[in-house]
Amino acid sequence: MQCPMETRRKEVLLAYSSGKLDAVDVPPLEGHLESCPGCREFVQAQRAVWDALDVWEPAPVSPDFNRRLYQRLEPQASWRDRVARLFQPFGLGRMIPIAASAAVVLMAALLIQRAPAPLDTAQHETAQVETVQPEQLVMALDEMEALSQLSRPVHADNTDSKM
Amino acid sequence: MDQWVNRDVGAGAADRDPDAELMLRVRDGDGASFGVLLEKHRVPVVHFLYRMIQNHAVAEELAQEVFLRVYRSRATYEPTAKFTTWLFRIATHLALNSLRDGKHERMQERLDETSGDLPARQVPDGRPSVEQSMVYQARLEEVRRAVAALPEKQRAAVLMHKYREMEYKQIAEVLDCSESAVKSLLFRAYETLRARLAHMA
Repeated sequence: MQCPMETRRKEVLLAYSSGKLDAVDVPPLEGHLESCPGCREFVQAQRAVWDALDVWEPAPVSPDFNRRLYQRLEPQASWRDRVARLFQPFGLGRMIPIAASAAVVLMAALLIQRAPAPLDTAQHETAQVETVQPEQLVMALDEMEALSQLSRPVHADNTDSKM
Repeated sequence: MDQWVNRDVGAGAADRDPDAELMLRVRDGDGASFGVLLEKHRVPVVHFLYRMIQNHAVAEELAQEVFLRVYRSRATYEPTAKFTTWLFRIATHLALNSLRDGKHERMQERLDETSGDLPARQVPDGRPSVEQSMVYQARLEEVRRAVAALPEKQRAAVLMHKYREMEYKQIAEVLDCSESAVKSLLFRAYETLRARLAHMA
């Protein structure tokens, strides 16, 4: 076997010293170690490093780690999640999109029904085109579209989470 | 940090990585899966950060930030690599930033911090003698100083290689460098550690 030190294959010695060398490669390496003091010294010293590093055991994680984390996560919950939690006791969490859409339809209907009072020709000498009503309907439809998207997963184009 | 290298390891990456599968469930709104990931990876992340920073409070603070970032990114998560690669990439980035931002402060806390809060070695009768405890603490301090003396990237590579048992390839993905560069980092780091710690055999 060629000397791992001379062939720049120290990873073989690292793996062997930590007990992770493939079993098939162990016998030839051990045969080499019998005649190579440099590699023997490397293995001995590296084993001492592994043993020393094993001594280093960090203290346990704080018992309130999760609690503190979830407190910080709470503001990150979407408002949809928060609304869903309100309905959860009633088993209605899954009905949020339906309920939201129904609420918007109802709102749109109310807006449409709020027709302006007929113009009093005695008070208004000139006819004025009522433009508020259509805009209110457009707004209501936009809100319906936005709320309907709540039922679909969000796939924003954000490279932060892409690997 | 915001620019991830998109290494496409195939559409079946989630199938081979149960953590990635859990994260996909988190993406789809399953909060319980995030809890599973937290329980599984909390200790390894905290310990990695502690060994990098050598300050318990800062390590836990940074670990919180790691999981916060994981959670924030849930909506756009894509399993193009192992979940632990992504996780430790975030952790390493935060650790390196922390070391560079407060280097002198960290050094002072490391030197002053005693090992009193670290578990003592157990002996067969369950309680170490005073002498054994002192020997253990002295060895521990020597190990900590040796690791702290490593350049930051070498330190990160050693910690992932030794304590997380990561392969060279995965360490390379975490550190965003080539596999040969990782080997070079590790060989230099271990050479330094052998010089400082081999006498402890």
